[in-house]
Amino acid sequence: MTAAADLFARFLQDAEAMREQSRAALRALRELGEVKVGASEKTCVYAEHKVQLYRYVPLARSAKLPPLLICYAMVNRPYMLDLQPDRSLIRELLFLGLDVYLIDWGYPDGADRFTPLDEYICGYLGRCVEFILKSNGISALNLLGVCQGGTMSLCYTALEPQGVANLITMVSPVDFKTPENLLSKWAQHIDIDLLTQSGNVSGEFLNLVYLALMPFRLTQQKYVNLLQLQGDRAQLENFMRMEKWIFDSPDQPARAFREFVQWFFQENRLVQGALVLDARPVSLKNVTCPVLNIYAANDHLVPPSASIPLGAHIGSEDYVALQVDVGHIGMYVSGKARKSVPATIARWLGERRPLN
Amino acid sequence: MNDPNTRFGAEPTFLKAWDDYATACQTLFERFGDPAAKRAAPLPLPFFGAWQDFAKSLGMPSDAAGASATPQEMLAGFLPSLGVSREYQEIAQRMLELGARFQRHCAEFMQQGVDIGQQAMEAIQKQSANDASLLSSTSAYYDAWIDCAEQAYAQAAHSDQFAVLLAELCNIMSAFKVERGKLLEALARQLDWPSRAEVDSLHHQVRDLMAAARPARPRSRKPRKPAGQ
Repeated sequence: MTAAADLFARFLQDAEAMREQSRAALRALRELGEVKVGASEKTCVYAEHKVQLYRYVPLARSAKLPPLLICYAMVNRPYMLDLQPDRSLIRELLFLGLDVYLIDWGYPDGADRFTPLDEYICGYLGRCVEFILKSNGISALNLLGVCQGGTMSLCYTALEPQGVANLITMVSPVDFKTPENLLSKWAQHIDIDLLTQSGNVSGEFLNLVYLALMPFRLTQQKYVNLLQLQGDRAQLENFMRMEKWIFDSPDQPARAFREFVQWFFQENRLVQGALVLDARPVSLKNVTCPVLNIYAANDHLVPPSASIPLGAHIGSEDYVALQVDVGHIGMYVSGKARKSVPATIARWLGERRPLN
Repeated sequence: MNDPNTRFGAEPTFLKAWDDYATACQTLFERFGDPAAKRAAPLPLPFFGAWQDFAKSLGMPSDAAGASATPQEMLAGFLPSLGVSREYQEIAQRMLELGARFQRHCAEFMQQGVDIGQQAMEAIQKQSANDASLLSSTSAYYDAWIDCAEQAYAQAAHSDQFAVLLAELCNIMSAFKVERGKLLEALARQLDWPSRAEVDSLHHQVRDLMAAARPARPRSRKPRKPAGQ
């Protein structure tokens, strides 16, 4: 038999095996039904328009630390942080005795198209902070900003430093113009005024942009790998939860999105000290509280080079950077991150417990 | 017997193109499996060229030549915009122009995709020539192909040329949406439907009312003192 014929025979053999696997996987997928996302019990304690502030029900004895407010990105849904019981950053934090709050920005619609970015940062986020401070009778809380929410949290802390005892940023961009940042490269030539002139930017558009970052892996390989799961129900459910989250991107309010893209991606104002929000200059030097910066080594959305510079720009003398050997999404759900990140956060906060 | 040179006897174009494509696939396959061929000169491999020809034969122009009509050529049959509907005619013409521009840029973008595919094919061929174990598993080979494709894509995607082209496509679509919005606005007025401008105006009024009703935001300007000070 020639080498080519041998290869072809092997290919046919593999193809037949794959066909059987695919059958099992597709049958199981059809029977799967709607997957449930969100693992931990929570209560809405404050709401304003589409923004909701949740407080999670404790799962362990209190660590007696100030409440931890999680500010997630507006470009994705926050349930990724509490996807399922065994893949939940929030659940791990609750088991460590933290009092966890989460801001859910909701699904903006046409009524939000003229809402400026500073209304989200100084307005909605600010009022959530005020609510937590007031309802707990405290003067400062711990703030955890995730992805774009980390950038927003940095801006908020720079403007309202009194209310933040400790700041944690997770996979958050700070320097938006580094060579590895593909999203930023693409954003430079976009006419953002024109893009947002017709209203909100659809979540579907954002999904396409994310897929375009790694099209072969994200539109082909992952589905081929899915077929190899051979109908393993638990694994298929994991996959579908992730799939649901990935394509559950809210529309972006036109004005806030335009301002974010122009001021951060195109003009890199945050690190240049040129950002003005709510008619006030945003100086990262005003971030003087302790800062823990957690970034992912293999992040294709927010490359490490976009997060690492934070330490050089803030005024804090208590700055810790933590690199985790995962990708952007792996930071929320991977076993590796689950083992180290929540414990690190709780320990770091515990070491910076307020004196009163 | 049919004369191959007569109209009815000639091989249909798409069959010829398909044969070329199939031959390219077969050549590729044999190269991967034949150690002697691996040592041959690098592939000129018209693999995607054959695919393009096949697509073209089905009436799917996938290169710049297939989308070369200029807006002037497209609009040559139209009279200059005049009369009471002049503004709407102009909007329609701008939309046509944008459509033509989009098609041209899209063809250019597709060509980049073809180039990326070609580079990925060359890379996987090189890799399989150096690592015979790759050929022992279809799955491993597929993963290697994805790696090569992503690598070729990343290289292109980080280039200015790619960024400019992608942005241009996005900008043209945005401009098209703006023009389409103008037409819909006019239509909504004619039908006494709520128009975008009307809803926007209401949004602004609501925002003004909310701002007036909300108490002034408390602002703290004093930063915390850094630790140890």
